[in-house]
Amino acid sequence: MPESNSGEVTQLLQQWKQGNEQALHALIPVIYKELKRLAHYHLQSERSDHTLQSTALVHEVYLRLLGQQPADPQNRAHFIAVASRLMRQILVDYARTRQAQKRYGGCKIVVEDLAALPVIEDADLLALDSALDELSRIDERQGKIVEMKFFGGLSAPEISQVLGISRATVDRDWTTARVWLHRQMART
Amino acid sequence: MAIEQWEQVKDLLYRAMQLDPAQRAQFLDQACSSDCALRAELESLLAGDEDVRSSFLQSRPLGSDSPPSDDSSALKPGQLFAQRFQLVRKVGEGGMGQVWLAEQTSPVRRQVALKLIKVGMYDQSVVKRFQTERQSLAIMDHPAIAKVFDAGATAQGQPYFVMEYVPGLPITEYCDQKKLKIADRLELFIQACEGVQHAHQKAIIHRDLKPANILVVEVDGKPMPRIIDFGLAKPTAPQADGETMFTQIGHFVGTPGYMSPEQADPSVKDIDTRTDVYSLGAVLYVLLAGSQPFAPTSDEKLPLHELLRKVREEEPPSPSTRVSGDRQTSSTTAEARGTDPKELASLLRGDLDWITMKALDKDRARRYGSPAELTADIQRYLSHEPVLARPGGVRYLIGKYARRHRVGVSVAATLVLLLAGFSVLQTVQLRRITRERDRANRITDFMTNMFKVSDPSQARGNSVTAREILDKASNDIGKGLAKDPEAQSQMMQVMASTYTNLALYDRAHDLAKVALDNRMTKLGPNDPQTLESMSQLGWILVRQGHYDDAEKLLRQALTSEQHVLGAEDQHTLETMDYLAVDQGYQGHYAEEEELEREVIKVGTPGLGPENERVLHAKHYLGVALWDQARYPEAGQVFSDLVDADRRVFGPDDPKTLNALGNLALVRQSDGDNAEAESLYREVLAAQEKVEGIQHRDTTFTMENLASLLIDEGRFAEAEKLSRTAMTVRTRILGPEHHDTLVSKLNLSIALFKEGHVEEAEKMQRNLLASQIRLQGPEHPNSLEMQTYLAETLIKEKRYAEGERLARATYEDQVRIIGLQHSETVDTLRQLARALALTHRYDEASKLFRDAIEKDASSSVQGNHFELWYAFSCVATAANHPDEALQYLQKAASLGYKDANGLMADDDLKSLHQDPQFQALVAQLRQAAATNGVH
Repeated sequence: MPESNSGEVTQLLQQWKQGNEQALHALIPVIYKELKRLAHYHLQSERSDHTLQSTALVHEVYLRLLGQQPADPQNRAHFIAVASRLMRQILVDYARTRQAQKRYGGCKIVVEDLAALPVIEDADLLALDSALDELSRIDERQGKIVEMKFFGGLSAPEISQVLGISRATVDRDWTTARVWLHRQMART
Repeated sequence: MAIEQWEQVKDLLYRAMQLDPAQRAQFLDQACSSDCALRAELESLLAGDEDVRSSFLQSRPLGSDSPPSDDSSALKPGQLFAQRFQLVRKVGEGGMGQVWLAEQTSPVRRQVALKLIKVGMYDQSVVKRFQTERQSLAIMDHPAIAKVFDAGATAQGQPYFVMEYVPGLPITEYCDQKKLKIADRLELFIQACEGVQHAHQKAIIHRDLKPANILVVEVDGKPMPRIIDFGLAKPTAPQADGETMFTQIGHFVGTPGYMSPEQADPSVKDIDTRTDVYSLGAVLYVLLAGSQPFAPTSDEKLPLHELLRKVREEEPPSPSTRVSGDRQTSSTTAEARGTDPKELASLLRGDLDWITMKALDKDRARRYGSPAELTADIQRYLSHEPVLARPGGVRYLIGKYARRHRVGVSVAATLVLLLAGFSVLQTVQLRRITRERDRANRITDFMTNMFKVSDPSQARGNSVTAREILDKASNDIGKGLAKDPEAQSQMMQVMASTYTNLALYDRAHDLAKVALDNRMTKLGPNDPQTLESMSQLGWILVRQGHYDDAEKLLRQALTSEQHVLGAEDQHTLETMDYLAVDQGYQGHYAEEEELEREVIKVGTPGLGPENERVLHAKHYLGVALWDQARYPEAGQVFSDLVDADRRVFGPDDPKTLNALGNLALVRQSDGDNAEAESLYREVLAAQEKVEGIQHRDTTFTMENLASLLIDEGRFAEAEKLSRTAMTVRTRILGPEHHDTLVSKLNLSIALFKEGHVEEAEKMQRNLLASQIRLQGPEHPNSLEMQTYLAETLIKEKRYAEGERLARATYEDQVRIIGLQHSETVDTLRQLARALALTHRYDEASKLFRDAIEKDASSSVQGNHFELWYAFSCVATAANHPDEALQYLQKAASLGYKDANGLMADDDLKSLHQDPQFQALVAQLRQAAATNGVH
């Protein structure tokens, strides 16, 4: 059973919700560690071409850190938002590592080789990462939405709850962000 | 682009995207009017809209967001499956799933058959069969059986098998295509039978033998049959209820044309190896006569129930009759056998008819007992000897069917045990069927995951041990059934007891602890299931040597069980029995005795005198008596127990051997070393054979025999035995387990006696430190250990140290276990020796006289001679032989009887030449002989 310091994490989340950015800084290492550990763990087990889902992973981290009891949905959403950002970081790190390995010619398949997974290529992932940076400069909220939806697996209602915006706004932002990112990535 | 513009672009873009492409131009015309830049921007964004709409960023970066699903339907040639199999083509599909030819890319490159078990078919019987196939692969190795290389499951939980790809034709098709003559067909058939025979010897039944599962490949131009698909193998007794099986007939339990009558009968629950003999008979029938025994004559298909009825009730025509029946088909059949219909019929008539019909007998008792018997009869036919199937061979038959396959596969035994545990669990759950359907699926999902053990880098041929599966499963259980804590706890409980049976107590402990905590939270402290968990955990703690913790838990469980279940409930008695054993380990022998007598008293009326729990209690009663030095009583208990155990469990059963070993110990303690040694050797030989050298019981016997050898002065032999036992125990139980400590003690004594004093001291100090850490400084065992160390120090001439230690120990022992205790007397002897050897015999003498005076005035029963005997030893050491002899005679007058002990005592060596000493020895021997002791 996981050792869970759920009290502390919940507290930090509360503080962060109330606008304390310091709390987020304290949360990130905890979640990052957990995510990374779990990613390693999952990827060591045998998998086929389809594999685990980021949503599942983030949820699992959530469960481990906050304990099994159903926490209030807002808490959960906030947590997953943070986790989403970290998820993005981890994935991009992996993709970079893999790209670097390719340059050395020996493309050794390693277990933690996340980018071996289908759906999005390493190069695309790196491009997406920088396009997303670009988008966030123009529209910070939209950047967050993409992060939560794509990397964190949050649903539109959950995102609207986290960000305190209407469902329609989330839909609009998400749809247009995809179009914008697509063009941006095609250009680079 | 400027940030402020983006809001506007975004809004227009979104609205445009809601429109039909045809309407967009008009919308843009209106929206942008004269703003060309804005329009260009929107058009550029909308250009990618179609792509975006379909898939862009819709999937998660780590895969699809859809729930796990059966992806085998979507498999295509060329696709990579499970990362190391390049699919080539689908070669079959059945009720259970698909079979693909695939190219394995790592760790070796080879063609394999991938059998994918249909996801969504997480149904009791499939998973069960899946498990048995997993087991089969580990233990079968025969040229006529296709090898199963590996098994695993994808991330979605789709189980699959990797099997040898057999690019062959079904045996019947091959024979027809090659126009093989009857004799050649029989040769081929015999080889197939040998494969089935091999499987049967491993206790595996195929249950679905048919031509499609007996493929023929050519090796160096020679045809070789190879049996595939042991997925339906069934080494354990079937437990599927008839209805389930019946409705699923033709789905995956057997194939009607080749199915035995007992398989076709829903009321028959035990399917055994003779079901395969029947199926082989049906294959033989086709090989000979060209059609199935119950094949309809016309093209019209029989309804399933009608076919099943025929299989159960009707006699098929003999092969020769079948061939002469239908003129049209029989000529094709004969041609494929290189002959004409008339000749074929006459060839089959007689022996081959009889052989085939005997294999196809409705009554399995009249069938061949095994494939080997079937082939033996075919061989007789081929070598023109009379076949046994000839009518009238009844007498031969009677002897035959008593012989059945035996399950005796040691490696697989653990797994069977584990699976049996699971099956029971599943059965229990299925009873509450409607509500529990979900749970059954969750459990089977979890079970499926158990098979993800295979890591190609670790694959060792066919061997995946039960231990590996168990380890994997127990690692995963935490999250595997997280949604169903109740089922999770049950699974944990089963696994914990499996680990306990394997003596892997740490793993057992972790699982049992979680199970108990979960049940405590979910069901409360007084639920029978919680109490069961509590009791089990207590027992594991006993096994781990944590006697205090165990006691707390067991007492708590016992009190609640007496209240909730009643005093006579089996579980209550079990807990009481556990508590008794725990008490014994803590040195509370009287308490142990009392509890076990209670278990026997309460348990016997309800459970019978030969109930396993009652016998277990009797065993520990004997141990408790032995611990209290009540040897005659203990001897009686154990010799009765050995008789009962032999009747109940058999002579080679570990429990019987344990009782016999303890009888040996009692004999040894009672001074009958010769009898004891012969009993020990008998037990040890059987244990090494039955349980192996690493088993706890085996090391126990070794230690007891070692201590006997020490008594006999055969120190080198003793050292060797103890060292072996200690090595095994350290590795398996850890360096500080009670049992390991006993080994170390025996070893240190042997070393000491052999004269390896420094090594002995080192070992004793290490031992003492562990002992104190584990049981505290005032535990009798710790004190006893100190005495040994003191003796060693004295031997090393470190008198001051030895004296100090002995004195402190003596004082503690007098206080804790009493003056009369032989361990206390031993310590006094060492203390006095230290004094005597440093020229303070007066002081030593005073100690003894004080002790003897106190002993005499004490009401405690004990061996009063012990003090006199010890006194004598010290007097000898101090070179006062007359005194020494006087004390010895005093000891003898108080009941000391052991002449051999007298001779063997190193301290008394200097007296050996003394006529008075010799006279005393002679006198004791004389007395022993007249009394007929031992």
